[in-house]
Parts: sequence; structure tokens; C-alpha cells
Amino acid sequence: MVVSKSLEDVAVIYPQGYLNNLVGESLEKECNACIGKGIKKIVLDFSKTKFINSIGISILLSIIEKLKKHNGILCFTSLNKMHEEIFEMLGITKYALVFRNEDEALKHFRVAVKE
Amino acid sequence: MPFKSIPEQNFVNRDAELSYLKRLIDVKDSAIVNNVLLEGTRGIGKTELLKQLYRSLFWQGKNVIPFYYSFQRATLKVAYFAKDYFTRFVRQYLAFLKKDPSIIDNMSIPLTKLIPLFSTLKLTWMIELIEDFQEHIKDGDLHEQLLGAISIPAAVAGKSGNPVLVMLDDFHLATQLYETHPGDVPGLISLFERSMTSTTSPHILTGSPEGALEMIFTDDSFRGKAERMILRAMPEDAAFSMFRSLCAAFGITVRDECREFMKFLGGNPLYIKNMAKALWKMQRKEASLKDLWECYSYEVSDGETAFYWSSIFRGFLTDLQQRRIAIELLMHSIESHCEVRNLEILSKALGIPVPSLKSVLDALQISGIIQTTGSIRPVRDNILQDFIRNLYLREVEERDPEKIRKLIESRYQLQNNATSCFEMTIPMTADAELVAAKAIEQIGKNISLKPLVITQLQLAIIEACINAMEHSGSYDKKVLLKFTVNPERIEIAIETPGKRFDPDTVKEPTIEEKLHSEHKRGWGLKLMREVMDDVKVETIGDRTRVVLIKNIKSEVIN
Ligand SMILES: Nc1ncnc2c1ncn2[C@@H]1O[C@H](COP(=O)(O)OP(=O)(O)OP(=O)(O)O)[C@@H](O)[C@H]1O
Ligand SMILES: [Mg+2]
Repeated sequence: MVVSKSLEDVAVIYPQGYLNNLVGESLEKECNACIGKGIKKIVLDFSKTKFINSIGISILLSIIEKLKKHNGILCFTSLNKMHEEIFEMLGITKYALVFRNEDEALKHFRVAVKE
Repeated sequence: MPFKSIPEQNFVNRDAELSYLKRLIDVKDSAIVNNVLLEGTRGIGKTELLKQLYRSLFWQGKNVIPFYYSFQRATLKVAYFAKDYFTRFVRQYLAFLKKDPSIIDNMSIPLTKLIPLFSTLKLTWMIELIEDFQEHIKDGDLHEQLLGAISIPAAVAGKSGNPVLVMLDDFHLATQLYETHPGDVPGLISLFERSMTSTTSPHILTGSPEGALEMIFTDDSFRGKAERMILRAMPEDAAFSMFRSLCAAFGITVRDECREFMKFLGGNPLYIKNMAKALWKMQRKEASLKDLWECYSYEVSDGETAFYWSSIFRGFLTDLQQRRIAIELLMHSIESHCEVRNLEILSKALGIPVPSLKSVLDALQISGIIQTTGSIRPVRDNILQDFIRNLYLREVEERDPEKIRKLIESRYQLQNNATSCFEMTIPMTADAELVAAKAIEQIGKNISLKPLVITQLQLAIIEACINAMEHSGSYDKKVLLKFTVNPERIEIAIETPGKRFDPDTVKEPTIEEKLHSEHKRGWGLKLMREVMDDVKVETIGDRTRVVLIKNIKSEVIN
């Protein structure tokens, strides 16, 4: 339901399909695991996400809160137009960095792109 | 012309009936049927057909004497009826002889004043007939008066050698003739049977609704002498062209799309005419289907059509208690759609004792509102149904008239040609909302919505379904969805049994609050509102319905 990869101190996570309670829970678990390993830069890439429902949004809030506590940084990448508008409207984008795609986020963290 | 009939050129679609009735008089063979029971629903044009027939006989040289009599509730007491019937006949006969239609309705000439007029015509036998009748009045012999009145057409046909065509309009009322108080002498109507056996005075009797007259005649030997003719609805083409020309006379042009409305009016000339008048009263210059629905909701609650039906209701259901029972009973019949044979069951369903039901059913039958003998047939006429709905909402539920009109209008708002409607139910199981989301995706594609707009609709539906699943305490665990699409907008209704929630009391969530709170949920309504043009929450009985609305403006279409 979520696929992730770690690149040095950055983790990229790809929630798949429908970000509801189920996918949301495994997403949260994955983030917690990263934080547990000391990775505090998390990129959530939504290129594989079709819908984010309100439960998904509340889970994103939990992740934001947790990362804030650990002084981490959260990035959103590849948001579709609707989700971007919604995040903007809800004010979520104030608590995360938004990039057009994963590469731009990684560039921001100055990480070489490796496969 | 007599009795305010409409001009010949405006009388449409009844050629076959009219010429059939005209030929009736030529049948001289007593073995052949020559009485007609002309039946049809109210307003279908029975009276008008008789008036047209009357006019044509009045002026044509064939010397068939036309006589028209309309039964009225006010003149059912034998003493009045007999005199009224007799006098009208004499007056109409004189008008016919003198070819002076102004005499027909001139009520100021009493019977005695008519005698000298007949003497100038040298019709002494007519004077004798009148004097005989006056003798019966003097004697106070009700039976002889009634007989004298009823047999006058046949007597004149015999003496003059000219056949008389007797047209008795609303003859079903004749069952109510009485001597001193209603219901005292039930069989008086049978006196007509005798006068109808004469081949020189054939009768045309009208009655409403269909089936009203066959019940009246109990004498089998008579039945063989009468034939039933049913006046049916006007076909759509004729109805539409009638509507168009009525509107044209008011300076209103009618769009082609309005043809559809004729079906709804059931080809009933009364309704067609009233709708044209309503458009004119509402000062329309051009009529679209939408205009018709708007005028209709007025017409059926406060317009002339409403007035037509309410005077029938008022006239036949004078007692308030009876009237109330009638309204509830009719409403029940509309909602259950089926014929009722068993009064006991009906009585239980409505909580009204059988005897009260019976008297109301009799009144409904005699008023021509519905057919109730044998079994109670449901009201099929759309307009009458809406009139009854209106009465019910007004008198039983005591709702505000303005609201009722809106309610009736909204019933039909979406009946537009270009409207398509999809319905589905989804179970309350994981990801079931995605099935609904898939459905709106295809619906959106069908009308070329932009992909972004489609995803917005999908998201709103997902949220509404999640809400419904989480908050409805229903047993059946199902969510009903209804998608309605017309050129102006898309409406998606999501309905579940369960408690209503008031969107105004839901506190608007903010990120700052939610970030620090345990409870991070509660974004659904905000999301729906963000992506839709309007979100309404309605309560229908014990069900809650969320309606999502997206207006179709040019920017949402590809
Ligand atoms: N063939 C027709 N062409 C045009 N107008 C008609 C036609 N038939 C009836 N109408 C009009 O429709 C209206 C209703 O007709 P009418 O009064 O004859 O109906 P009805 O069957 O006698 O109704 P009720 O049950 O009230 O006695 C009248 O205004 C009449 O002029
Ligand atoms: Mg009539």
C-alpha cells in the first residue's frame, strides 16, 4: 500500500491509490519507522495516489505533528491539481514543502539521484 | 349561440363522434339501439360535444328538434326539477320553431307567457300539453308532474311528427332525484327508462367518470336499448395543435419542446384550455417547457383548474368531516396506486370506520371524481392527483400555500427532456465509495466534463459516502445514491436512514487546532464545500440526504 526508499538521510514514500484509513495507517507506520531510524527528512510522493480522502488528511496531520516534534522536514511532491488546491485551502501546505516532483525535492536536500 | 358553445372552427378532434351522434336520429327501426350513454372523465368534452350537436341540429333544415338539459345539484327536488325540465323543453322548442336562439336561455319568460306564443303558431296541442302539466302542479301530484316532464319530448315528437333528440348532461346526478329530502325515493330515475324506449325521441346521456352510467340502469330490457360511447383523451397531435392555437390567440408562441407536456395533461381539453389561459395570465410571450411547469404549479393550486376541482369538492362534500375523509382516502389511493375492493382493509389502513367511508365513497362517485362502485379505482389523472396532493398538504398537513406550490413544482423540475438520472445503492463496506466514484467518472465523461471537475465530483462523493456510512445508524447498511444530470447542473443525492445533522452547527475545522488535538478528523463537509458549488443537507422523514450540486458552466466542460 505504500512503497518507500531511503536515500542517505531522506526517505521517499509513495502512497498507492486511495489514501484512506488503510493506506493511511501503513503510511503512518512507515513514517514512524523512518523517524525511529533517525531519518527526519520525509518526501511524500503522490504520483501514484488517486484520491486522498478526509481520513487520509487527518493521518497526514498526525505525520506532520510527529515530524514537527522531532524537528523533521516533510515534503509533498507530485500532487495533482485538485489535491494541491485542497491542501492549499486547508492550510496543510504551511507545514510542508511542496515540490513539483521527487527530483526537485531531492535536489533541495542536495542528494544525488541514485536508482 | 345557445349555452355559450365554442365556435365550430375551434372545436377539434371530435368529427367522428359528432357525425355518429347526428346519424342516431335517422335510425327508425325500433329493434336498433338508439340511445347513447356518453361517458368520459371530467373535463374531457362531453358537454361541448352536446352543445356542438345542438347547434348543428338547431340550424340545419332536417327538423330534428334538439333538447339539452343539464342536471344540477340545486334542482334535484322533484317539484323543482319537473318544472325546470318541462319549461326548458318548451322554451327550446319554441326557439327552434322561431329559429330564435335568444329564447333558449331567457329565463324571464314563465310557462304561462309561452302559451300565447304557441297559439300564434297554431299549435293547440302544445297548449294542451302545457295546460295539462299546470294542472298537475295545481294538484300537487309530484308523480304526475315528473312523468309529464319526462315524457314531454316523446309527446312532442309524436304530435309534431318531428323527432326530438334529448341530450341529458350529467345524467349520473339523476340518481339523486328526491321528493322531500335527499334519498327518500331512490327509484325515480327509472321513469326515464320508459321515455327512452320511444324511437322518435332518442336520448344521449352523459356521465362521469367512465362507468358511471352502466351502474344506473338495472332494467335488463333497457340495457339492450342503449349503447355506450366513451369519449377519450385527445391524441397528442390534436392536443398540441389545439394548445398552440389557443396560445396563438393570446399572442403566445409555443416551443416545440412543449409537446411533451400534452401527454402529462392526458389530452384533456379543459386542462389544455386552462393552461393556455394561465400562460396568458402570467404574461408569457413565448412558452418553454419550463414556463409550462411553472404555470402548472400555480394552475393546480390556485388557478382555474384548481377552482374547477375545488368547486366540485365543495359542492359534493359539504360536510367538513366528510371532506377530510375524502382527501385522506384519495391521497391513500394515489400513493398505493391500486384498486381497492375490500372496504374493511381500507378502513383499517386509514383508521376510518366503514360506514363513514361508504358515505364518502358515494359522494365521490356521484361527483364524478372517481369510480367507486364495485371497487375503488385509483385516480390516474395527473392533474387531479396534484390537486389532491395540494388539498392534502393544505388541509391535513396545514402547510403554507407558497411552499406547497414550490413542492409541486419541484416534483417536476427535473422532468426535463434532457435530464438523465442514475441511481445506485452501495453497501457500507470498505472502499464501496470508490464504486460510486467510478460511476460519476463515467457520467462526467458522457457530458465531457474536464478531468479536474470529474475528480472533484469523485472526491465529494467519497466524502459524502464516508459520512453517510459513519453517521447513519441504519440497519440495512446501504447508501442510496441518485445522480441527476441536466444541461444546467449535476446533482448528486446521497441518502441514508438516520439522524439529521445540521451543517450549520458543524464547527469549521482549522489546521492549527487539529494539529494539537487528539481528534484530527472532521474534514469531510469542508472538502465537499470546497469542490462543489453547493452542498445541501435535507431531512425526509427519518432519512438524511446530502445533495451535492455542481453547476455546468463553460469552464467545467472540455
Ligand atoms: N373538441 C374540443 N375542442 C376544443 N375545445 C374543447 C373540445 N372539447 C371540449 N373543449 C373545451 O374544454 C372544456 C371542457 O369541456 P366540457 O365542459 O365539455 O367537458 P365535460 O366533459 O363536460 O366536463 P365535466 O365533467 O366538467 O362536465 C370546455 O371549455 C370546452 O369548451
Ligand atoms: Mg359537462
